Amino acid sequence: MTFQELIFKLQQFWAEQGCVIHQPYDMEMGAGTFHPATFLRALGPEPWRSAYVQPCRRPTDGRYGDNPNRLQHYYQFQVVLKPAPDNIQDLYLRSLARVGIDYKRHDVRFMQDDWESPTLGAWGLGWEVRLDGMEITQFTYFQEIGGVELSPVTGEITYGTERIAMYLQHVNSVFDLAWTDSITYRDLHHETEVQGSRYNFEEGDVPMLMHLFQAYEAECKRLLAKVDKRLTLPAYDYCIKASHAFNLLDARGAISVAERTGYIARVRALAKRCAERYIEERAAMGYPLLRGSG
Amino acid sequence: MGDLPRKRARSSAPHVSDLLLEIGVEELPYQFIAPALTLLREMMERLLKDQRLMFGAIRTMGTPRRLSLIVEGLAAQQTATVKETMGPPKSAAFDQAGQPTKAALGFAATHGVAIKDLEVRRTAKGEYLFAVKREEGRHASAVLIEWLPTVIGGLTFPKTMKWNDSGVRFARPIRWLVAMYGNTVLPFRMAGVMASNRTLGHRVVGGGRWIRLKHAASYPTLLEQGGVIVEPERRRELIRQQIDAICRESGLVLHEDEVLLEQAIYSTELPTALLGSFKEAYLDVPEEVLMTSMKEHQGFFSLRYKETGRLAPHFMAVANTRMEDMSLVRAGNERVLEARLADAKFFFEDDRKVRLSERVPKLSGVTFHQQLGTMAQKQERVKRLAGFIAACLRSTSEDLRLICERAASLAKADLVTGIVGEFPELQGIMGSVYALHDGESAEVAMAIREQYLPKGMEGECPRTEAGRILALADRLDSLAAFFHVGIVPTGSEDPFALRRQATAIVRIIVEADLRADLTSIVTKARHLVCEDGIAGLPDAESHGVRLVIEFILERLRHYCRVVYGFREDVIEAVVKAVGDQSLDLVDLIRKMKALQAVTAKPEFNALIIGFKRVHRLVTKEQWTREAVDATRFQHDAESRLYQMMTKAYELAKVSIPAGEYDRTLEALIALKPAIDGFFTEVLVNVEDQVVRQNRLSLLKDIDELFLSFADFSQIVVQGS
Repeated sequence: MTFQELIFKLQQFWAEQGCVIHQPYDMEMGAGTFHPATFLRALGPEPWRSAYVQPCRRPTDGRYGDNPNRLQHYYQFQVVLKPAPDNIQDLYLRSLARVGIDYKRHDVRFMQDDWESPTLGAWGLGWEVRLDGMEITQFTYFQEIGGVELSPVTGEITYGTERIAMYLQHVNSVFDLAWTDSITYRDLHHETEVQGSRYNFEEGDVPMLMHLFQAYEAECKRLLAKVDKRLTLPAYDYCIKASHAFNLLDARGAISVAERTGYIARVRALAKRCAERYIEERAAMGYPLLRGSG
Repeated sequence: MGDLPRKRARSSAPHVSDLLLEIGVEELPYQFIAPALTLLREMMERLLKDQRLMFGAIRTMGTPRRLSLIVEGLAAQQTATVKETMGPPKSAAFDQAGQPTKAALGFAATHGVAIKDLEVRRTAKGEYLFAVKREEGRHASAVLIEWLPTVIGGLTFPKTMKWNDSGVRFARPIRWLVAMYGNTVLPFRMAGVMASNRTLGHRVVGGGRWIRLKHAASYPTLLEQGGVIVEPERRRELIRQQIDAICRESGLVLHEDEVLLEQAIYSTELPTALLGSFKEAYLDVPEEVLMTSMKEHQGFFSLRYKETGRLAPHFMAVANTRMEDMSLVRAGNERVLEARLADAKFFFEDDRKVRLSERVPKLSGVTFHQQLGTMAQKQERVKRLAGFIAACLRSTSEDLRLICERAASLAKADLVTGIVGEFPELQGIMGSVYALHDGESAEVAMAIREQYLPKGMEGECPRTEAGRILALADRLDSLAAFFHVGIVPTGSEDPFALRRQATAIVRIIVEADLRADLTSIVTKARHLVCEDGIAGLPDAESHGVRLVIEFILERLRHYCRVVYGFREDVIEAVVKAVGDQSLDLVDLIRKMKALQAVTAKPEFNALIIGFKRVHRLVTKEQWTREAVDATRFQHDAESRLYQMMTKAYELAKVSIPAGEYDRTLEALIALKPAIDGFFTEVLVNVEDQVVRQNRLSLLKDIDELFLSFADFSQIVVQGS
């Protein structure tokens, strides 16, 4: 099964479960959780089911394309189910079977792994799912997002697509993955890794990034301050941008250990405010997605 | 068996049955399970006692997917009780016609008793009405249906979550409940789930089918058919047997690890141990690294060759499934480990390209603590303190000081290596490996390795002198620094494990018999912290040293209780006598040993009683102390005591500094008849002030003589 077929199958499976197959968000982010289809939609009472691929950027994880398992840019397949259905674990296991992992012949384990994102003011309890010892999925019941306690609770399933594909294709390096029958992950992304790592670690312009962080933060705050207009969605975009600028600064070693918590708290403050505003706005709009669900 | 007629069981209706409760959950964190089962048992016991339900044995069992409990021989009905309530006096209860008054009617109504059933009883205050109500027990089923949700809801976990609109919090979602009394279902609702007699077996081996349960007795067996070994002890046995069999066959020996075994027991429903392998080439990496990687990342046991004791290129994994052919599972685990070890090997090789000494400057980018500067600063302080301690120790040569300072100047460099970044618990160990690689001496490398020992009350202490000094310097610097800025453990709050650090200090000094003045070392440590420009609390200057010393003495007390089992008052007597001067922990323990030994002597209690009398008098009375004048004695007892005291004093002057505490105590005990004689024959507070002063001064000399050894006023006279 090629890498792209794996994604098709996951999309197909979750579409059958009533998920909106969203498209990746057009911004740099560290995890699929930042996508408004997760971060914002998990808030408030409206039901929601969605699945999508999200390219993720983690500048500090770059290894110049030398490490067979570590990338500064990779693909998560994200599923959110709100409210989390009672059979969510079974659905997940069935999705594995769909992509060709006969879990009856393997040792599938749900090992405690509680998730917390200080940047998003979010946490949840769940597991990392291990297939014969290999972590292939992150499974979380969100409890809070943007500092807001959630009700109903959203279940989040994040597949490590590269890991699963490596397993299915019996390859030991992510770069050896067949994206299609003739094109490999290396063809598409090795150079991305080399140049990305070079930029993240060596060339990123620290004063410029510093300036961007502040500008994004200011813009987010400016938009949030306009209480008479609905501007939460663009404000949240700037929160995402600020978070990524922070990640780049971090990779450049421009942020000391002591300063780190301060920066994280600044992004969290933005995320919290966006979450609160989003809830107010949806309430004012009469929770459009509650229609037809009683 | 099944064919036998069941008449007998039918004819005598059973008054007891077994209760079965199973909470079916999504996978619990393995560390939560055993504590939750203990709590479940306690709560059930309390419930049954409170509810007057007699029961036999309670058994708990569980896996990541179920917390279960069986109560054997649970009474079908609550024990009946008789409730008696006193009401109005008889005189106020009936009117002249003998008709009940309002008071009587009201009382009867309140307690639901008919007027005619009210009893009149004679009490000390006269005749009163009593409502006597026999409460027939309710059926166990009714009680359980009412209360089991409370028991389940009462379970607590370190972290809980919500998952549906029931609002219930639990460690992970509850997905089914089994509740049966005998063969009857107890239908209660909890967390949106209805209790039934159906359970789920193993996710894979059980095929996802519901298992219909008949009664508690067959519960473990039916579950086993569904691929679940529900009793943790049976899983432990099974894993042991499997591991033993594999070891026998392969000629390998397991590296025992109780933590990993617990993890295997409580993270599986159907454990299957399997042997895997990795490439020989990875054995170039230090075995601590390989073992840590296997344990921390994958939960694998390591194995050694039986003959050589060397680490073997194999691992033991415990899977949670069973099938004919486990080769796919084995291969998967091997592949994951391969990637992990490749990472470790890469880090190890990469780390060795840079000398430790070249890494030291990077430590100025690593924070020790927000208020306490960087690791570079700490390392420099530790280096200077280690040099100071080396110079303090009596048996020390110049070489030792150089070794300590060299080791200290590299001690923290491994914190910025790749391996320690990945596995913080390998700090020190990696430093020593890299130091040897850099060509440092074996002594320097060993000191770097031993700097974090011991870990607490358990575990080994550093074995080399330089290791001990470095370990002491590191801990004493931390204590001095944290106390300086007011970060001091309170109650159960001790985020920087300062108590453990102080315990380590005590153990190193006492167990290695290090004779040095701790006060001057702590003073030096504090001085170095201040010199480093760290802003301290306003009052740190006046009692910074004292607070640290008291903190260490507190751990010394604890250590003496646990390790030596000294009497509390013996420990106190010696520790309380510590002044502001020099402090030698080894010496304190010798004193305690000597003192503890004499507490067993028959005359000890009487001696203490005598001493306390002396002590009380000289503390209470007002007089002008002068040198004792023997010409003013009026009784033989006075002269005798004076002579004995002078003898003892002369002896103590020599024996205490020499550490001959047995001799000192012998001399003190020898004073007993003289003290007793004194109090029998002599009155202290006489009219003649000159005589009185002289007597009090004599007693003061005695008091001081005792106190020069220990604070005997702390001693509690036992058995009186």
